[in-house]
Amino acid sequence: MIDAIQALTVVAILASALISGSLLAPYVVRVLTGAPTRLDRLLDPVEKRVYRLIGADPAVTMGWKQYFFAALLLNVAQMAIAFAILVGQGVLPLNPQGFPGLSWDLALNTVVSFATNTNLQHYAGEATLSYFSQMTAIQFLQFTSAATGICVMAAMVRGFKPGSVHMGNFYVDFVRVLTRIVLPLCVLAALVLVALGVPQTIGGYVTVKTVEGATQTLLVGPVASLVAIMQIGTNGGGYFGANSAYPFQNPNPATDVLQIYLMLLIPTTLIFVFGEMIGKKKETRPILIGSYTLLAVDLVMAFLGSIPVVGPGIETRFGGFFSTFWTVITTAVTTGSVNASLAGINPLGILSAFMGMLIQATPGGKGVGVMYMIMYVVITVFVVGLMTGRTPEYLGAKINARDVKLVMIAFLVHPIAILVPTIAAYATKAVDAIPGFSSLPTSVGFTQVLYEFTSSAANNGSDFFGAAANTPFFNLATAAVIFVGRYVPIAILLALAGSMIGRKRVAQQSLRTDGVAFSVVLIGSILLLVVLTFLPFLMLGPLLTYFQGMVNFFG
Amino acid sequence: MSKPSRWKTYRPVIALSILSMLVCGLAYPLLITGVSQAAFPYQANGSQVQLGGRAVGSYYIDNGFTFPIFFQGRNETNPLAASASGVDPDITLSDALSQVPRISSATGIPAPSLDALVKAHEHWTLWVTGDPYVNVLELNLALIAAYPSSYPGYA
Repeated sequence: MIDAIQALTVVAILASALISGSLLAPYVVRVLTGAPTRLDRLLDPVEKRVYRLIGADPAVTMGWKQYFFAALLLNVAQMAIAFAILVGQGVLPLNPQGFPGLSWDLALNTVVSFATNTNLQHYAGEATLSYFSQMTAIQFLQFTSAATGICVMAAMVRGFKPGSVHMGNFYVDFVRVLTRIVLPLCVLAALVLVALGVPQTIGGYVTVKTVEGATQTLLVGPVASLVAIMQIGTNGGGYFGANSAYPFQNPNPATDVLQIYLMLLIPTTLIFVFGEMIGKKKETRPILIGSYTLLAVDLVMAFLGSIPVVGPGIETRFGGFFSTFWTVITTAVTTGSVNASLAGINPLGILSAFMGMLIQATPGGKGVGVMYMIMYVVITVFVVGLMTGRTPEYLGAKINARDVKLVMIAFLVHPIAILVPTIAAYATKAVDAIPGFSSLPTSVGFTQVLYEFTSSAANNGSDFFGAAANTPFFNLATAAVIFVGRYVPIAILLALAGSMIGRKRVAQQSLRTDGVAFSVVLIGSILLLVVLTFLPFLMLGPLLTYFQGMVNFFG
Repeated sequence: MSKPSRWKTYRPVIALSILSMLVCGLAYPLLITGVSQAAFPYQANGSQVQLGGRAVGSYYIDNGFTFPIFFQGRNETNPLAASASGVDPDITLSDALSQVPRISSATGIPAPSLDALVKAHEHWTLWVTGDPYVNVLELNLALIAAYPSSYPGYA
């Protein structure tokens, strides 16, 4: 349990995210709709030159297929660049530690993981990656995956907007989102992080003699610039293997609170962006109420478990409270950074983490969180339509049989991508290749494997294993799950949005979707869908651990 | 598809991926590095702490104290006591206070003075409230500064 002051801290941080999200949203909408902004005088000429250089006509508009394939191809090309850098880092510059290139399967896993906003890491950055790789492979993909997420959401919203005729232009969206939203926010956040104590240098590791005369290496590097984008972009992949538990990535409570806030900022903003872009601000309500209510449920559940002052896998400066709080938020927005060892979190906290990753919309990852919420809304509208005997409608458009099939397939991608490989990992005995796995209690081991694939499919990236899962099976299996978990639902949801274009809209909907009543039904159907699908597996994992009376996952 | 039209399709993809790498992967981190080194050189280089005119470690990284005359960090070799990072620079207030008798008997500094020194270097997980903790390196440097005669050869 937590005390009143801790509860107030939670409320204050969530409230700050909500307030700044609502304030930032109009600006984001201006960027996405091409409306004039203050940065125009500076950036318009730059953008024009960029479009000329890359040979893209900004006036061209795209259908859903063109939009999706432009995004997919760009992401794959970016993966290729990063792959070459990781494999070849031994001969590339800015490698003062002289790290060799990565194995092909680890490099593949890493680029797929980072280009899809997942950031599952089967390596420890401080012992594996050169400064050059940390910047030009890792930070690079963290930016582009975040921008891609916002772009595909914007495209989906354009499809759903009454009276719209196209999905936008991917290249224009990508360039504008990157230069006008993500980069400026990161520059600001990175400098604040440095001021608060996060290192930023390319001068190489520093060796000192400690007070007692022993030799110590200080693992400094371009850390702050990475932490800014990893949190703002809901990426989560850290500079260090221990992620934001490592003091250079998260030196004190101030940087901890700032990073929690940064994780929540853009996903919360995008909820408000949805209503503004659609042209009906009230339609933001069910998404806002739905996502934040479910987040509150997850937080309460996690805080009901044991919250140690300090314990194994918990950093003293954060304690059990900030570690548990962080774990819930990082999975709720599918960031996947950690400020503690997951094994040190209580079983109910890990159950909350699962809920965040299984729902993916509380408020979910950058852009895709809102997309999943629209998916749940369409399912709910359909179910309510069946119950009341009325034609299901959303935003004035009739929801037809094909729409329902599409959203159901989009929903089902996730359980298949999680459960099949989880079972395969046991069936093929691939789990035995993980050091120490066989000595874990069954429920603890199962929780860790299920978490690995849930985190991959949800494009979250936090995990129990870390570098221990650097085996060919886990590298390739998680890479495949990550890829499917990212692009298949995006493609299906864009197809759905694309089919909305030109569809007849009624002025007066039979079922209002912007009220509290609908929000409640929406929350109910999300819980029903997700719990019914995953409960047996959660029973075998964190719930069993909980009922066995374990306080954490140290076995 | 003929060659020129294929190029027309792939050119934006290839050009934009290279351009975005140069901007996000090089220009951005190097800009932040330059500004940080100029504006916040202490933090940007790892908050290095000096003793007797030389750097002895970082404020944020466990300094690995083992001598009985010093406050010691967490036992990072025992998985059930270790932190997540393995270099946790802090210990709880109660952990620090529990080490006072050992330091007192090793150095001859009166225990109440050591207690007071610990309390003077308290931090809290919620700034002014929350769980109290101390930074081990900061505390030991304060110890050396306050009792130089008990720590010959360190100051």
